[in-house]
Amino acid sequence: MTTVARPGLRLSFGQPIKKMQGSVTPQSVLGPQADDERQRIRKEFESGVSARQTVLALCALADQKTQQVFEDSLQTHGQTSSGFCLLALGGYGRRLLFPYSDLDILFLFGTEKAEQTFRPLISDFSRTLWDMGFRVSSAGRTLEECKRIEEDNIEFHLALLDRRFLAGDSELFNRLDNRILPTSEKTARPFLLTQLHKLTKDRLNRYGNTIFHLEPNVKDAPGGLRDYQAAAWLRQIAENKQSLNITAAEEDLASGAVDFLSAIRCFLHYANGRNDNTLTYELQASAAERSLGVFDGEARNAAEWMRLYFRHARTLNRLLLRYLEQKALVPQTFRQRFFNAARGPKTEPPNGRPFGVRDGMYEVFNQPALSDRSQIFSLFTEAARAGIPLSRQAERCIAYIMQHPELPVSNAQISWASLREMLGADYPGFALRPMQRLGLLTDALPEFSRIDSLVVRDFYHRYTVDEHSLRTIEHLQEMADPPDERAEHFQPLWRTVDRRDLLIFALLLHDIGKGMPVENHVTGSLEALASAAERLKLSEEDVAEVHFLIERHLDMSATMQRRDIFDPATVSGFAATVGNQERLQRLCLLTYADIHAVNPEALTPWKADMLWQLFVATSNYFSRTLDRDRVHAPDETSLLEQVRGVLAGGTTEEIEKFLEGLPRRYLAVHSANDIAQHIAMYRKLRTEPVQVELRQGSGRSFSLTLMTADRPSLFATIAGVLAGWGMNIIKADAFANAAGTVVDTFHFADLHHTLELNPTEIDRFRRSLADVVNGKAPLQPLLQGRDKASRERPPKVAIETKFGFDDNSSEHSTLLEIVAQDRPGLLYDIGSTLARLWCNIEVALIDTEGQKVIDVFYLTEQGKKLGPEKQAALFEALRTKLG
Amino acid sequence: MMKLEAIIQPSRFESVKDALREAGIEGMTVTEVRGHGRQKGHTEVYRGREYTVDLLPKIKLEMVLPDKLVNTVVDTILKTAKTGKIGDGKIFLSRVDEAIRIRNEERGENAL
Repeated sequence: MTTVARPGLRLSFGQPIKKMQGSVTPQSVLGPQADDERQRIRKEFESGVSARQTVLALCALADQKTQQVFEDSLQTHGQTSSGFCLLALGGYGRRLLFPYSDLDILFLFGTEKAEQTFRPLISDFSRTLWDMGFRVSSAGRTLEECKRIEEDNIEFHLALLDRRFLAGDSELFNRLDNRILPTSEKTARPFLLTQLHKLTKDRLNRYGNTIFHLEPNVKDAPGGLRDYQAAAWLRQIAENKQSLNITAAEEDLASGAVDFLSAIRCFLHYANGRNDNTLTYELQASAAERSLGVFDGEARNAAEWMRLYFRHARTLNRLLLRYLEQKALVPQTFRQRFFNAARGPKTEPPNGRPFGVRDGMYEVFNQPALSDRSQIFSLFTEAARAGIPLSRQAERCIAYIMQHPELPVSNAQISWASLREMLGADYPGFALRPMQRLGLLTDALPEFSRIDSLVVRDFYHRYTVDEHSLRTIEHLQEMADPPDERAEHFQPLWRTVDRRDLLIFALLLHDIGKGMPVENHVTGSLEALASAAERLKLSEEDVAEVHFLIERHLDMSATMQRRDIFDPATVSGFAATVGNQERLQRLCLLTYADIHAVNPEALTPWKADMLWQLFVATSNYFSRTLDRDRVHAPDETSLLEQVRGVLAGGTTEEIEKFLEGLPRRYLAVHSANDIAQHIAMYRKLRTEPVQVELRQGSGRSFSLTLMTADRPSLFATIAGVLAGWGMNIIKADAFANAAGTVVDTFHFADLHHTLELNPTEIDRFRRSLADVVNGKAPLQPLLQGRDKASRERPPKVAIETKFGFDDNSSEHSTLLEIVAQDRPGLLYDIGSTLARLWCNIEVALIDTEGQKVIDVFYLTEQGKKLGPEKQAALFEALRTKLG
Repeated sequence: MMKLEAIIQPSRFESVKDALREAGIEGMTVTEVRGHGRQKGHTEVYRGREYTVDLLPKIKLEMVLPDKLVNTVVDTILKTAKTGKIGDGKIFLSRVDEAIRIRNEERGENAL
């Protein structure tokens, strides 16, 4: 008799079994014998024998007893085994039999007649094995049946890949093994591969596609033993095995990981007394105490030991994912091959960069160039910007560079400017996830290593702390294509959030304190922020924003669950904590992501609804109470001190005079540095009555601050000049202090690149603005031509125009809210209509969301709210103007 | 045995839970629910879009109690869930014929 070694990865245990012969042994002897042997194997495992030897010993015991019972059954029934044999399948076929695993056995018959003949024998055989404590899981097939592919039973065909002769007619087995299955497997290869891909992906999905479970299943969860087996099957079935080559070092790593996980699985079976593969908190502690699977003599607590587990699980999962990614694995028809050869891989030209996109994934084209770490970071930034993942091969290239010190590394440190670009992109998770896998995330942000694979025992969280943190970010980026109604609701917040980079940075850091010896994890996370901010040289303002988000990351969740969110006092109190709309938007997204990433069920529609309602109520509170809270400068002692600190030669009286009477929102959206600059402009008003400050943001975006004495039509005039120059206003604030000095800030996009490409035009633009505001130059010539051009372009999305008046929110003003289709010159049209009807703009908040404009104006007429007649006239005038 | 169902404000849930624990009640089923009685919803406008909140978020507590504990539990919930405003919720009591612990098939109050 011969057994044929199955192809596969390097692991194959034990020797072929020998045929047993002898007289029938009574059950009363066989059962206790098997029990004694099992007890001996268990004791040996518990005294330190490896899992590899343990599963082999269990397999040998099963082989021996199976064969003995089979021979005895033949004798009892007076039959020979001609035309009938037994095969071991699945894990038993691979000689990986865990203490409480099933014994997968196939009864193979030469003919249907043989099947009928041996039926009584099989019944006795199976019952005897069950009585001896073996959990037999059997199937019966004739040779003819084995030629067919059972499309609804892929598991059987996969188990058959690990077939091994056990007992009976060896010639029959050889016919199956050498002639029938090689032919049918070749034919069925595309089906098997497709089904195996599907089966594997379904399994990974079931576990959230992450290895980082707090109580992982060491067999089926990602990173479990099933990952290794699926990789082995993929390799076994693949047509082009060369594309699946792994290095000897990778194979050693995988082998070590299988040993470690096998030790855990044996331990779990013995501890639970059944085939239960969940590594619970209790068993983690017990495994750590006995240093299970570890041979370096170092004592570890449960959290440290679990980090070893995750390291091994990551090895197996990475191996499987690489194999799954190989699309060429699936065999193709001649027609498909011909078509694909003609088409070639879809590759974007790398444009001199060492990387580019091929078939929808980033690939590395020039590996040595990656020793310049800035190239690696720009690869990640591009992935984050485009939402295109890195291939596993690209990750391997980067890993290779990182592990070979002979390749000199340059630009090893990432700057805040680069990191900010990556974090502020639409898909930051596409960079951060591979960075974490490659260890580059902890290089860029060493504080993150505190939570690397960290298990914090908590029956609410499902994932390790690092996994939770990365998931928060992925839940936000998936809003680009919202997977459900909840995400759809919050999508506009994600699209329009200001300083997304700070939000993502806060999410990376918000739970780092959980890995630090501090009583309250928020304190630790803030310490981590302080050290990261110092190293990365963040500005004070940026640190303050991230500090706020980390310090308050539980506040919104606590408010919505423990306070009555329909009580105006709750909303005003919460608004006072948050301070301004921009922060509210960031905090709301952070809360959404933080709850969502706890476990897949944590963000119930009920909670998402509560969060949304608190957000809307607070947002409306901000926009409807702007003129209620005015600055009384002498009360702002701390702010006065800060401004004095940065303002050259400023007196308290001067600062107080400027700040007095401004809406509190002014303080919420401007830092002490901004205020100091505004006061410097304020001083110059004596000599130059219109002060203009222009700053360029990224690309085509600019921000303009204009300060002057209040006058009729001022807001409309500024908006008109911007429209005349072809600028599209994205956001604007208009404030006035008690002395009637106006501070207007406009953020706009330079649609025609006028200022961006012609820096000399910047001065002309400033002069033109000052001249028109001062009345030295007319506005109309600037607007001619622009109006026609803008109206000719059809909008991409149609937005219905809506107006609404609100007399209740403010004590002094009537609020006008306008929602309309964005277009150049719109704000001028609105502003000039308001001016024509003698409406004074006390405060204005201008915002844009894609093609939708949302403007709020606080209006007065002769210092009072607008009367009903004025409101009707204004409604009519705006309707005529805006349509 | 009585089954108690209480609909309370989400903001009072933590206090109610703590008070019940102090009163010796360990087991309860908690559900996030939406609904309204006399406290009708309202409409919020955010960025030009109207959001009607006609079903308000509430928490539903369910527990089956031995007769001797019913009054204590009702009093505890009344004390801790009351804010005096419309929308504080309601308590419903109904008679339960039998309780069975699945693990060991114990019956009656022993199964609670």
